[in-house]
Amino acid sequence: MSLEDPQDQRGAQDRELVGVTEEGVDYDALEDLLGEKVIGRESHVNAEAFVIRPDEVQDTLFALRDEAGFDHCSCLTAQEYEDRYESIYHLKKYDDPTQEVGVVVPTSKRAPRSQTAEPVYRTADWHEREAYDLIGIDYDEHPDLRRILLPETWQGHPMGMDYNQDQPQVVTFESHTNPLAEDHKGEESDTMFINIGPHHPATHGVLHLKTVLDGEQVADVKPDIGYLHRCEEQMAQQGKYRKEIMPYPDRWDYSSAGILNEWAYARAAEDLADIDVPEYAQVVRTMSAELSRMAGHMLAVGTFALDVYGDFTAIFQYAFRDREKILNLLEDLTGQRLMFNYLRLGGLAWDLPEPREEYFDTVRDFLDELPQNVEEYHDLISSNEIFQIRCVDTGVLEPDVAKSYGATGPVARGSGIDYDLRRDDPYGYYPELDWDVITEDGCDNYARVLCRLQEVEQSARIIEQCVDLLEDWPEEDREIQSNVPRTLRPDEDAEIYRAVEAAKGELGIYIRSDGTDKPARFKIRSPCFSNLQTLPELSEGEYIPDLVASLGSLDIILGEVDR
Amino acid sequence: MSSQERSADTEAAVQSTQEDRMQGADDRFNSKLREAFGSSPFILTKFDQFMNWVRGSSMFMLQFGIACCSIEMMATYAIKHDLDRFGAGIPRASPRQADVIIVPGTIVSKFAPRMKRVYDQMPEPKFVVSMGSCTISGGPFQKGYNVVKGAEEVIPCDIHVPGCPPRPEALIYGVAKLQERIANGESSPVTVKPYELKQFGDLEQDELVDHLAQDIDEETLVMRYNWADSP
Amino acid sequence: MTGTAGTVGETASVFLQSGSGQGATEGAPLADTVGRLLGFGSNMGPGETLIAAFIGAFFIGNLMLAMTGVAGPWAKRKITAAFTDRIAVNRVGPFGLLIIVADAVRLLSKELVVPDGVDRPAWDIAPILMAGSALLGFAVIPMGNGIQLADPETGLVYVFAVSSLASLGLVAAGYASNNKYSLLGGLRSIAQNIAYEIPLVITAASVVIFAGTLQLSGIVAAQTEPLVTILGVSIPAWYAFVNPFAFVLFMAANLAEVGRNPFDIPEAPTEIVAGYQTEYSSVYFVLMYLGEFLHIFLGGAIIATLFLGGPAGPVLPGIVWFIIKIWAVFLFTQWMRSAIPRVRIDQLIEIGWKGMLVLSFANLVLTAVIVGLIA
Ligand code: SF4
Repeated sequence: MSLEDPQDQRGAQDRELVGVTEEGVDYDALEDLLGEKVIGRESHVNAEAFVIRPDEVQDTLFALRDEAGFDHCSCLTAQEYEDRYESIYHLKKYDDPTQEVGVVVPTSKRAPRSQTAEPVYRTADWHEREAYDLIGIDYDEHPDLRRILLPETWQGHPMGMDYNQDQPQVVTFESHTNPLAEDHKGEESDTMFINIGPHHPATHGVLHLKTVLDGEQVADVKPDIGYLHRCEEQMAQQGKYRKEIMPYPDRWDYSSAGILNEWAYARAAEDLADIDVPEYAQVVRTMSAELSRMAGHMLAVGTFALDVYGDFTAIFQYAFRDREKILNLLEDLTGQRLMFNYLRLGGLAWDLPEPREEYFDTVRDFLDELPQNVEEYHDLISSNEIFQIRCVDTGVLEPDVAKSYGATGPVARGSGIDYDLRRDDPYGYYPELDWDVITEDGCDNYARVLCRLQEVEQSARIIEQCVDLLEDWPEEDREIQSNVPRTLRPDEDAEIYRAVEAAKGELGIYIRSDGTDKPARFKIRSPCFSNLQTLPELSEGEYIPDLVASLGSLDIILGEVDR
Repeated sequence: MSSQERSADTEAAVQSTQEDRMQGADDRFNSKLREAFGSSPFILTKFDQFMNWVRGSSMFMLQFGIACCSIEMMATYAIKHDLDRFGAGIPRASPRQADVIIVPGTIVSKFAPRMKRVYDQMPEPKFVVSMGSCTISGGPFQKGYNVVKGAEEVIPCDIHVPGCPPRPEALIYGVAKLQERIANGESSPVTVKPYELKQFGDLEQDELVDHLAQDIDEETLVMRYNWADSP
Repeated sequence: MTGTAGTVGETASVFLQSGSGQGATEGAPLADTVGRLLGFGSNMGPGETLIAAFIGAFFIGNLMLAMTGVAGPWAKRKITAAFTDRIAVNRVGPFGLLIIVADAVRLLSKELVVPDGVDRPAWDIAPILMAGSALLGFAVIPMGNGIQLADPETGLVYVFAVSSLASLGLVAAGYASNNKYSLLGGLRSIAQNIAYEIPLVITAASVVIFAGTLQLSGIVAAQTEPLVTILGVSIPAWYAFVNPFAFVLFMAANLAEVGRNPFDIPEAPTEIVAGYQTEYSSVYFVLMYLGEFLHIFLGGAIIATLFLGGPAGPVLPGIVWFIIKIWAVFLFTQWMRSAIPRVRIDQLIEIGWKGMLVLSFANLVLTAVIVGLIA
């Protein structure tokens, strides 16, 4: 499949044609478009979903992508029922993410085989590998169906229904002595194989890049993830909706962007159980979420500088200095520096710290200093010529490629894709506020860094407005929590996929309820997971330092990649 | 296995591991001279004290990040907290040049062997600060199918810093405590690398091996990912 | 000018006065001074010369090692910390100074890990070569107050020759370590050193054209005359003032030569772990670390000698001025390290071959023309 598919180019008009109405998606029109392929229809809380046969996946998705304009495969959820396996492709449009559709592919229990969607959406590659790894669905024609999160030696599929966790995993000595010792010397090849990671200063955690070098140039790079697969989904499935799940989101994207992640869960669960959030709480949420985003972006800029500058140099330290200030604010608000656990379903854990005036003053002080600090970053980083020759035009990610990989967040916006869920799929208090979505057309490492730096400024704008609002908020109206039943039991078989704009991009949560107080399936769509997939596109043919810089500019957090 | 049995089993295993580690006194710091002279003449005592002071005052850390805790670890190195004040703030990228490894985060089955390797690559005497509840017990992810229940399963730890994540101040306290212990010559009593020598020994009392003894050649058994029953 | 280029200690004739201008007994190689102090008389036999030379060498070697000792574990941290708003070591001894002892002893007492499959003896020789080559260079540097081990006529050439021995050490370390990162580091450093050695030497040649001699003491002496006198303050004819262009070029090339940002790619911690030193621990690591700092100081010494009037300076004795100048250069490298991103290997080579080389030749030709016209 070529990305420059003529169909894709001509898409702009076609997209209007099928299934788009004033109010959103016309699912009947879509059903007509798919015709025979649809064997059933489900209605999820967020969108309608079509049930199709497992051997018609590609045809269906091609039709939806090319005729109806669903160019963003945001997530693939796989799950096991009593009687069947199911893969759900959650499709969206980059132009308007409120237009969603689900594609449900049931497969039989005995031989769970389904056609791969990889030719349609490149991003499906990893998503399907994950589904294979954790659930055990086989995807036919998949280019490289291996385990992705668990070790190759793993026995069983842990998110399946009959998995016995107490079953020891036995690994023989042969398969273990030195997992990296494989000799990669090829016949007459001039290339060198090198393992970057899992422990390497440039990988920002525990990522393993299987790299083939041709001299200093990267001939091939294969990210190998799973070194931090902490069973987040299992943990969430074992927790009760009301309070037991909320601590975990903080640990997905742990670059102090915790509140954004909490919001992702809160949003999905609130929509699922139909819980309202008081307006006051929404404002506080918005403010704290933007503080989180700033802290996350500061870390991203700091570590990117670490990658390009090479040591714990001034910029890294300055970024941490500014982060500390944000963390202080967040700590005053939530009581923790990193794992905030501040949001609750239907509201917040508690109100702003008293005395409020003092808190507002500290926030304002911080905001007043910020432009100066950002200026400092521009002086030190973006206007440095050496930095520019290092970053401009390296790690180029074309918009089409980015879309096909499902890239979101600053990575997408750095490639000129105007996609920000805060604006396009409004939630919280964002629609009421005045701020801009930043896009940069450079498509390179430099653009992504600039994007982050500017987003910090935008976040500051949002916070400023929130502070003004909060200050004038009448005292009797400060409702932080709506009524939520003590035990939450969403309707049986209600399914929802909801996303928010987290620090790294679209963080989506899929929840299926089975009528109990715990989710039957909890799936996390992590932006880093999709963004990391673009790494080979960014770095093949480039030099090692650019590989490292590109990785830094993608700003992955392994906790979120591996979950 | 009933819980009764299991706890007995666990206890035995703990004992054996401890015994392995306790073989005699902690001779990690012993010099050849000292061995030759037997009990400690004045000058050697002074020398030992000096060496302990040296090791306790200055250490290179391994630049090693795993999970959320590593963010706080970086904050500890950085401006406000500045771990370098204690002479412990130089992160070295290569394990060959590091003295202390701070294990900051959740260890999962795929990473455990790699971490062991990194630890092995460090030259003696080396010390381990395990940071966060994840490295103590698996922390919030203890029930996960893939999570190793604490760093102690893989490498011996000198200091545990609890918290999720521990604040930078706590980590500094942990490092300072480690320095204090080293300076007093009382680091944790580990001289063997337990997994190297005794892994099979531990397994022998294990139900698994008992059960599968006929089928599995003991020699080929190296590790189990089910860490729940291990000590 | 009289004098024979010869082995250490054999040159006994009268040399040009070294730049400090303080005290009358100076100017003779250090060995002679030592010999006089020991009462060997002015005509020493070979045995006495040997002893005197050893003592002299011992003195200079230790001076330099002490300086790196201060620089490596302590000053470097403090300087970096100052750039990044931190404090750095302050618990161990006054200002954390005892960290020097602690660091040194601790590193020396660590286990020496010899990885499987290293290529010995290359693996063992490399660190020694790296530290040794830099130390050798100091033998001919005039440090003021008569501290100069030997003053051969080809002193400058000698300095460059021995200091580039380090490249050999680098590549040997990289190759022998049996580690791909080391290999990459070794290759990078060889590419870098070759690319920057040439501009370095050529720029130095422009100074030689000015001074008309390769002898370091001669170069220093040539810089003593005042260049201009403004308001009663006479600015000496240091080549940094005479030919600032060459000075800047030389500083830049020197940064590459010692492998500091923006040219620290042979180590590049975030790319190739620690480059050629990845596999070294304990004593060998100390040697490499020492070698690195010695090279920075040697670079500083060369810069001081060629461009900053060697040990010249008012009030303070020459050796103090000399050390101040070396440290200034060291500070400069640390500053660069803190503030400048590193370039990529291909850019580095490009800058070296297409930029620095051309510029340095231009500088050489220009200098030659100017000197030719004036003289
Ligand atoms: S202890 Fe907490 S903060 Fe640390 S790695 Fe584990 S979950 Fe993350």
